[in-house]
Amino acid sequence: MSEDALLSVRELRTTFRRDGAEPLTAVDGVSFDVRRGQALAIVGESGSGKSVTMRSVMGILPRTARITGGQALFGGRDLLAIGDKELRKVRGRDIAMVFQSAMEAMNPTLTLERQLTEHLLWHGLCTKAEAKKRAVRALGDVGIPDPEKRIRTYPFQLSGGMRQRAMIAMAMVTEPALLIADEPTTAVDVTVQRQILDLLAELKNRGTGVIMITHDLGVARYFCDDAVVMYAGRVVERAPMDRLLDDPRHPYSVGLLGSGVEVGGRDLPLRPIPGSPPDLSHRPEGCPFHPRCARAELPRCATEQETLTIGPGRDAACWKVAVDA
Amino acid sequence: MPDELVRAESVTKVFRTRAGEVRAVDDVSLTVHRGETLGLVGESGSGKSTMARLMMGLQTPTSGRVEFDGQDLNKLPARELRTLRPRMQMVFQNPYGSLLPHFSAIGNVMEPLRLHERGDKESRRTKALELLDLVGINTGHAELYPRQFSGGQQQRIAIARALALEPDLLVCDEPTSSLDVSIQAQILELFTDLRDRLGLSFLFISHNLAVVERLADRVAVMNKGQLVEESTTEALFRAPQDDYTRQLLSAVLPIRQDSGLS
Repeated sequence: MSEDALLSVRELRTTFRRDGAEPLTAVDGVSFDVRRGQALAIVGESGSGKSVTMRSVMGILPRTARITGGQALFGGRDLLAIGDKELRKVRGRDIAMVFQSAMEAMNPTLTLERQLTEHLLWHGLCTKAEAKKRAVRALGDVGIPDPEKRIRTYPFQLSGGMRQRAMIAMAMVTEPALLIADEPTTAVDVTVQRQILDLLAELKNRGTGVIMITHDLGVARYFCDDAVVMYAGRVVERAPMDRLLDDPRHPYSVGLLGSGVEVGGRDLPLRPIPGSPPDLSHRPEGCPFHPRCARAELPRCATEQETLTIGPGRDAACWKVAVDA
Repeated sequence: MPDELVRAESVTKVFRTRAGEVRAVDDVSLTVHRGETLGLVGESGSGKSTMARLMMGLQTPTSGRVEFDGQDLNKLPARELRTLRPRMQMVFQNPYGSLLPHFSAIGNVMEPLRLHERGDKESRRTKALELLDLVGINTGHAELYPRQFSGGQQQRIAIARALALEPDLLVCDEPTSSLDVSIQAQILELFTDLRDRLGLSFLFISHNLAVVERLADRVAVMNKGQLVEESTTEALFRAPQDDYTRQLLSAVLPIRQDSGLS
């Protein structure tokens, strides 16, 4: 574990129980560090295990899931080992989460006041009067006009952008050390997107570490300092954000970049990755990307996957990158 | 014969809700020419999907008119409208929601042919298999059900179904928005290929400017029910005239350092 890491996840493994079949491995030996005041992007497509990784760390997995290995060190303690009772003291106070859809993440039957003061009161951080004051301040901080009045409204009375802000206020109110944001701007319009990211950046400037789960590489570049790329439950590349996007090394990262369309890139050739991500119940042996990989060499790629260090803070789970160097 | 395939003229659509009247589309005129791809962009609530439904004749405008191949969609008797329907088809954002879950892939593609009484069962099967092959679905999987396919493959099946009646116009409402990046690129490639091979006209609705820039010949921008700018794709992205268009473009976050934006 590097000395300035806020959260260090090591060799995390999470499986899902299935009826009449072997358990499904959704997260397979994932490791990463998050530093204070820095943002780590977890990039990957659906089914790559990004969300299950974060839910494992937060202890909010569905009943059918089991963590079968690894550590998540946070403030000197292993979050995977401390048990639910202790984890509850951490969740919402030291680690907060922001989700893709505020409509689904917030309770539709409670006013913003109830939802914004809940963590403060549950954790016994302050009095009720003080909690309300802090909640109003948090709403003001995220740019909700007239917060004293708005705090009495219900989520459905806000526009989508305002609701997303309210959810961020809810996460910020306890001043957490770590914020986990799962696709926080996917459901909002582009003109609102940057405002939301700038709000989150404010938090980062105050020293909060952020993990951002995203499939939007533009958002990742704008907001994040480091990145891990996940594929089929494994980390395939780890790099400083800019380096990953300007000089991707793992063939999957290269493919992801080649598939992304962006404004101004009309004349760039589109290079989609053939096929689709594997069904986890039929994960290919060796490197899970090899059946879609143009550079795959059999039998080696179908039997082993090796992670190579390719520079400061950079590694890639592909033996071929050694050939490139 | 004019080269205008669909023409909306000063179309307005007002919805009456409990909260009062909502002008979803406010005096918009738009034309899709034959063989052309018109991109329609705007944020949620801008009226772009309502506009698409109006241009398909699926909803009646409060005022204004929509002509398909010179015929006023809202004056046409139902029977004649039915003969026009096959010529305009739609592809939606959520492929699973748009396919019949209890029909196999091939069953979904055959259904429009059956409804419009094209050929016999055998010829419909042959045609559906050809279409599945055209959109890149392994015909060996034709008898599988929609839920057995990935999102990208489901969208391919939905596209095959939309093509079954050999339409002139394909209206696509956010067809790649629910797909992963690598799959989105595959579907964009499929659209480009279909346009070149079949000479289709497209009305392509998306909030994703990069996708529209790649596919469209011309782009129309909507904001709060109004058309704020319409221009060739190149001109719109190079020199946007309207403040709102500029705001949209400047909100785009570049991925590559050497991208056209930075």
